[in-house]
Amino acid sequence: MRSRWRTLLDDRRALVGATLLAGFALMALVGPLLVGDRLRALDLPLQPPSWQHLLGTTGQGQDVLAQTIVGARATLGIGLLVGVLVTLLGVVVGIGAGYAGGRTDDAASVVTNVFLVIPGLPLAIVIAAYLPPGPWRLALVLTLAGWAWCARVFRAETLSLRQKDFVAAARLAGERHWRIIAVEILPNMASLVAASFIGTTVYAIGAEVGLEFLGLGDLGAVTWGTNLYWASNDSALLTGAWWTFVPTGACVALVGFSLTLVSFALDELGNPRLRRHARRRRVPPIGWRAALMAQSLVSVRDLWVRHPGSDAPAVDHVSFDICDGEIFGLAGESGSGKSTIGHALLRLLPEDSEVRGELRVAGADVMRLEGEALRRWRWRDAAVVFQSAMSALNPVLTVGAQFADTLAAHGIAGRGEARRRAMEGLARVGVAPDAVDAWPHQLSGGMRQRVAIALALALEPRLLVLDEPTTALDVVVQRQILEELLALQRARGFAILFITHDLPLLASVATRIGILRDGHLVEVAPTERLRRAPRHPYTRALLESFPPLPPIERPTQKVLP
Amino acid sequence: MRYVLRRLALYAVAAWAAVTLGFVLPRLMPGDPATTLLARLRGKLSPAALASMRDALGFADGSLVHQYVVYWRHLLHGDLGLSVAYFPVPVGEVIGTGLGWTVALAGGAVLVSFAAGTLLGVVAAWRRGGVLDSALPPLLALLGAVPYFWLAMVALFAFGYALHWFPLGHAYSLDRAPAWNVAFAADVARHAALPALTLVVATLGGWMLGMRNTMVALLDADFIKLARAKGLPPRQIMLRYAARNALLPSITGFGMALGFVLSGSLLTEIVFSYPGLGYLLVEAVRNQDYALMQGLFLLITLAVLAANFLVDVTYVWLDPRTRAHA
Repeated sequence: MRSRWRTLLDDRRALVGATLLAGFALMALVGPLLVGDRLRALDLPLQPPSWQHLLGTTGQGQDVLAQTIVGARATLGIGLLVGVLVTLLGVVVGIGAGYAGGRTDDAASVVTNVFLVIPGLPLAIVIAAYLPPGPWRLALVLTLAGWAWCARVFRAETLSLRQKDFVAAARLAGERHWRIIAVEILPNMASLVAASFIGTTVYAIGAEVGLEFLGLGDLGAVTWGTNLYWASNDSALLTGAWWTFVPTGACVALVGFSLTLVSFALDELGNPRLRRHARRRRVPPIGWRAALMAQSLVSVRDLWVRHPGSDAPAVDHVSFDICDGEIFGLAGESGSGKSTIGHALLRLLPEDSEVRGELRVAGADVMRLEGEALRRWRWRDAAVVFQSAMSALNPVLTVGAQFADTLAAHGIAGRGEARRRAMEGLARVGVAPDAVDAWPHQLSGGMRQRVAIALALALEPRLLVLDEPTTALDVVVQRQILEELLALQRARGFAILFITHDLPLLASVATRIGILRDGHLVEVAPTERLRRAPRHPYTRALLESFPPLPPIERPTQKVLP
Repeated sequence: MRYVLRRLALYAVAAWAAVTLGFVLPRLMPGDPATTLLARLRGKLSPAALASMRDALGFADGSLVHQYVVYWRHLLHGDLGLSVAYFPVPVGEVIGTGLGWTVALAGGAVLVSFAAGTLLGVVAAWRRGGVLDSALPPLLALLGAVPYFWLAMVALFAFGYALHWFPLGHAYSLDRAPAWNVAFAADVARHAALPALTLVVATLGGWMLGMRNTMVALLDADFIKLARAKGLPPRQIMLRYAARNALLPSITGFGMALGFVLSGSLLTEIVFSYPGLGYLLVEAVRNQDYALMQGLFLLITLAVLAANFLVDVTYVWLDPRTRAHA
């Protein structure tokens, strides 16, 4: 928690925002006491700024600076009040409806949506026109016009939190509803509520100033909005008296700006991806060993990768080879770095990760490729199939279109040819050719994964990287897809880098297996030897952690190459 | 299709709510609404005007339900009552004079702003850490915190009054008669330039930041990674893969912001004395012209609902997941 405060204050923007806000708060609290008298003293109207009146005088002869300072209290006060009321109302209706569900939720949603969709200012004007004038009119009207947005945002978040396990656990434990909301749900929404509160306050101040500008505020009071109203009434623009409206508007803008800055910082606290990281340039070393490297398909030497934001490397001096046509398995627990190695091989790591070492794929020095050369190299010799095909396929393009993009990017085929090749590719992985016109969401999980495999094989690569390809599928489909993959591999002769945490699975398909632990490759050996006589204690522990199953008599025995 | 029908139902309910609000509000005032309302205006209106206003607001004799029915009947005949501020012109006609100007100005400005902002957001997200990404967001955040109408005041003062680059207000020069020729069109364009520019500059930031944030969140997605791995050209990935998907929440946000943007544009019109609905609104408030106010409220609400519906249809067209499965 303390580190969170530090991050907040370290961020320069948050610091600027907070300082500005503090200044305005001071103005609002103490201002009227200090300059109240100056305000009441009238002088010649419409005087430009001078030493006597630092910001000039208004059309009625009041000192503009005093007017601006005094106006802060009412404006910020009402803005804050509306912010609190709207957030409160949003919490009650939004969380209440989201948590209750059913008919309550439906009814509340209709009301919320109606208020959302009816435009705010006209609604506010119409309501304000009928109410008796007074200080509360504005607050009431703005709350009525603005509560719906917060309610909707909170409802959506509550709906998603309600599904989570810890809420279900609390229900099972018999906790009462209001307690669940207060203790489980609200704290998890804290940053959202804070951001919404800030956003609402910004809206409230802006809307309040707008309504007062129209003359719907308390015309006798001194607020920023009524200042602008009088300025406009006194034809400030057409007489060139810019000092009557510029300072006030600037204040409104600065308050909104500072609130937004603080909100940015809060945003980045919750979503680290929005933070900007400094780019680091990769400096691949000159490999004097390059000429001596074996003629294997894939050659990895001293691969070292560190992700930004962590001290320890994700991959620590890993070296291995993969030969043509072999199935190399990379096994390890989550976080051991296996995916990182796969990504590194394909130059898919983010820009700001540090990567060192040597990587050769089919003779190409992968680390040295840049720009157009890198782009052209991609997919031809090495392709990848990710774990979840639903998120790996572009949801707004058809399967055929995604095939066509791939082929076109490498200069192969016009539209008709691309379509033909797509249908052939799909048929080869056991998908009906008319899926070429389907969208990803219309296909089942297994079909999508097959499509991903077909895409990967579209350019006949020599290496296929499989990154947990079947973990997201059920066991039966998993088996089918694996068998089809192996059949394809036997037919086409490409090598496979099979990354998974499922060691027994690897044991049944891979030629050689590498065991990865905390970024170190602790053992590499042919499958049989690894199974019979593991050398490293970690390998042994890993093998033993999978419960042994009695061998099943299978009709087709797989013969490992 | 079901999605579209559901949204249509919502808009129908909202329209009904707006109409009913116009009926309910005058009756919420303490005391006998008719008397109180008309007492306020007694000194200013002729008996004929008062009578027409009673009719328009549904203050007929009879039960509340009967009044409600009368109110609806008037509405469906297009009878919104007589305007007090522009007596004896019917409210419908008064609104008609301003509608075209507002739609042209606000509609045009909003579309330009959304298109430009979205494009800038895409570029800013793609070149993370670049000049566009680091310099513009704080600047645009500052601009977004500025009330539109104040920005309009500053613009009018700086570019109209001080520099004489643009005219000082209105939709066309007062010494010209409206006509369908190029000269008049050019004149209209000159007068619309500053208000439109003000609106675009004030709203650009919001769209840009929204699109940028959505894109940044999207750039981590698996399908973007796969697209890169496949060696697709960077521009194609940026537009066809990332932006095309990021556009969806952006369009939803556009729909939600329409009402807000329209409100801001109404206030901007006032500053520029642009003869649109905003100007009429201010006149209605000043003269306590309830019939005109309610008529404007109703029309603006219906316009926003219609625009929202168009946005929903666009969304369905863009996102194949919302269409019925084959």
